[in-house]
Amino acid sequence: MSLLPDATSLLLDGMSLLPDGVSLPSDGLLAYLPDLGQGLLVTLQLTAASFLGAAVLGVLVTALRVAPVRVLRALGTAYVETFQNLPLLVLLVLAIFGLPEIGIQGDIKLTVIVVIAVYEAAYIGEALRSGVNAVSKGQGEAARAIGLTFTQSMRHVILPQALRTVIQPLGNIFIATTMNTALAAAVSVVDLTGAANRVNLVEAQPIPIFVGAGAAYALIAAAAGFVTGRLERRLVILR
Amino acid sequence: MLMKKMVAAVAVAVSAMSALAACGDASSPAVPGAAKPSDDVLAQAPVAAAADILPGSTMEKIKQRGELIVGGSLDAPLLSQQNPATGQVEGFDADLGKALAKYIIGEPKVKIVNSASETREALLSNGTVDVVFQTYTITKERADQVAFAGPYYTSGLTIAVKKGTTGITKPEDLNGKKVLAGANTPAIPAIKKLAPQAEILTFGSDPECLQALKQDRGVAYVQDETLLIADAKKDPSIEIVTKPFTVDPYGIGLKHGDDQMKAFTNAWLKKIQDTGVWQKVWKNSIGTVVTGDAPQPPQIGSVPGS
Amino acid sequence: MSTTLFDEPGPRARRHIRVATVAGTLAAIALAVLAVRQFAANGQLDAARWQPYATWPMWRYLLTGLWSTALAAVVSAALAMAFGLVLALGRLSHQAWLRRPAAAYVEVVRTIPALLLVYVVLFALPRYGLDLPLFWKLVVPLSVSNAAAFAEIFRAGINSVERGQTEAGLAVGLTRGQAMRLVVLPQAARRVLPSIVSQSVGLLKDTSLGFVVSYAELLYSGKVLAAYNGLLIQTYVVVALIYLVVNASLSKLARVLESRPALYARRSARA
Repeated sequence: MSLLPDATSLLLDGMSLLPDGVSLPSDGLLAYLPDLGQGLLVTLQLTAASFLGAAVLGVLVTALRVAPVRVLRALGTAYVETFQNLPLLVLLVLAIFGLPEIGIQGDIKLTVIVVIAVYEAAYIGEALRSGVNAVSKGQGEAARAIGLTFTQSMRHVILPQALRTVIQPLGNIFIATTMNTALAAAVSVVDLTGAANRVNLVEAQPIPIFVGAGAAYALIAAAAGFVTGRLERRLVILR
Repeated sequence: MLMKKMVAAVAVAVSAMSALAACGDASSPAVPGAAKPSDDVLAQAPVAAAADILPGSTMEKIKQRGELIVGGSLDAPLLSQQNPATGQVEGFDADLGKALAKYIIGEPKVKIVNSASETREALLSNGTVDVVFQTYTITKERADQVAFAGPYYTSGLTIAVKKGTTGITKPEDLNGKKVLAGANTPAIPAIKKLAPQAEILTFGSDPECLQALKQDRGVAYVQDETLLIADAKKDPSIEIVTKPFTVDPYGIGLKHGDDQMKAFTNAWLKKIQDTGVWQKVWKNSIGTVVTGDAPQPPQIGSVPGS
Repeated sequence: MSTTLFDEPGPRARRHIRVATVAGTLAAIALAVLAVRQFAANGQLDAARWQPYATWPMWRYLLTGLWSTALAAVVSAALAMAFGLVLALGRLSHQAWLRRPAAAYVEVVRTIPALLLVYVVLFALPRYGLDLPLFWKLVVPLSVSNAAAFAEIFRAGINSVERGQTEAGLAVGLTRGQAMRLVVLPQAARRVLPSIVSQSVGLLKDTSLGFVVSYAELLYSGKVLAAYNGLLIQTYVVVALIYLVVNASLSKLARVLESRPALYARRSARA
């Protein structure tokens, strides 16, 4: 894929990823289960942390986009426009190599989490905004009529209803976040995709390795789908 | 419907841009560490006698097509790097490919098919490419799937650090440290073998690894010696701390079982080594960062699998 | 709706807003100046590091990459939409043997990262003798994964068209297929247009996976450039700006085109 000599050559020379004297069992792939499990853990960690961050940021972005002050609304729009229009991979590379040049250098995994959170927040912001718009006008008017301020009517009236209508879209964004964490592998984080790639480099059995990794992603997504389905049935407001 | 309109609008805009692109001039800004243009060397490169192009052979097929299809890279400086200003692919591997094309066809006409280290065997066996020039290390196992002419060059891995770093003088010193390596390069298994306790961080390209080294993401960077020498030339803040600690003989990948083409390619390799073309190609590419004369080329057929 | 949530700011509120805006802007400028100074202190603003991007050959190279990006995106989008429509119709079919596989495809593929599909096409298929040309190594996985997304968009659109529309179509003697084609689909297409556009912008961004298969799209061209001139950060800043400009204009164009039929749809829905 990229430059230069290729890895398999050395391996084929009889080297192993394990220290000398340790040989792999014949059912080679099973020996890598701990590595893949570790990768899966990292994927889960990246997904959970970045989705949480994205949810918080996304609420803020939505608030900005419906705020009373024009500058804030413009800020919210600019945020969404910027991050929905840049490929995540470009953002990741820029953040990891560019930010240290302006004096901000964090742990790579942390940087990846923040970047994915910032990126997905644009999508969550859009989903929430359409949810807010779906809340009927009378709700906002009623909230204002009983004397709630903007913040209060958002917090107690609009957002709780908006959140319910966007459970399904949020579930989809969660799944997208899970899949997007795979890009972390391109910037040295050994997540599930990274681990699968490294195992494949040694064992050269791409079908079982990548199908297995794909199944793990599908499982995470299925779990997310199950949870959002339950949530939706429980919380949905029929109108 | 609307999508169609949009697509049409974009297509128009983009084709206007590429039309603009087509009439630009190709003046090349000087870039340090880049290989030199190869025209003068290729002018001296030999052409095969008509009798050597056996009827019905791969060579004849290539000659009739008028173009040699080479599996290679576009982003390997000094070896096979596309020059964005000219669109030409330059470097040691690229020039040898052109020289081979000239030997067969009479003109250095090549088409480079960008290939990945995982797909080269398939590209050769299904005939997508005629030859592979891509730091293709000869091994016995690979020789079961492809034929190797050569070796035409020998290289090895070495270690670079930020200037002033102490305590790293041999691969074993990497144990317990964060070490940078290119994704899918032989550095990964080599580090795991020699320094099993090292934590390996991989990035997709050499500039990324280099930037990571300078930003202290890792204390050392393991990579092919040629590339690291070029990096150290361009960037005085890094230095190389070891001699190469692996031996990687590079071969010219050919279709498995094509003995005619293998004998032909080996004969060509011998010829360009004897006439000094090999040395000039080296001088023009790797020799722009490595001081001194071209090294002794490796003995053809000296490696198991070749 | 947002306008009912707050009163038009009065003179005092307006003053506060003005003060806060000025203060916020000043703080942002101060931060930006600090960042730029640090950036410059690290030598990243040296003229020599940006000079290559003031020359035409570099831009020509990047624009050629952009052209490849557009080509891959348009072909993938066309394939994914066609396949997605088939899947959506299959999923809504009354025949279980059509419905089940279509549903299974959508549910499974929707949850597999595109990068992983790229790996399958890149590493796995060649081992079984199927080595696609570079362009298709990118387009096939993108089409496969986006087809599922488009299928869901179309299905939502079709479901959003009132049942009465199909029934009316059947009542005037159309077959089920005709009712779908002549009555339901045109209305559905109009309603899902915004989703189709944003999914297409997403697809355009996904072509940056060409980076992995070394298809010479915009991001990969950036990679080759960075390898050539060693200017990693500058190159990526320029590439990011190109993506931003192209995608933002696409979204803008879409909004402009979309406003008319959307208005029409809303009016007819209310009537």
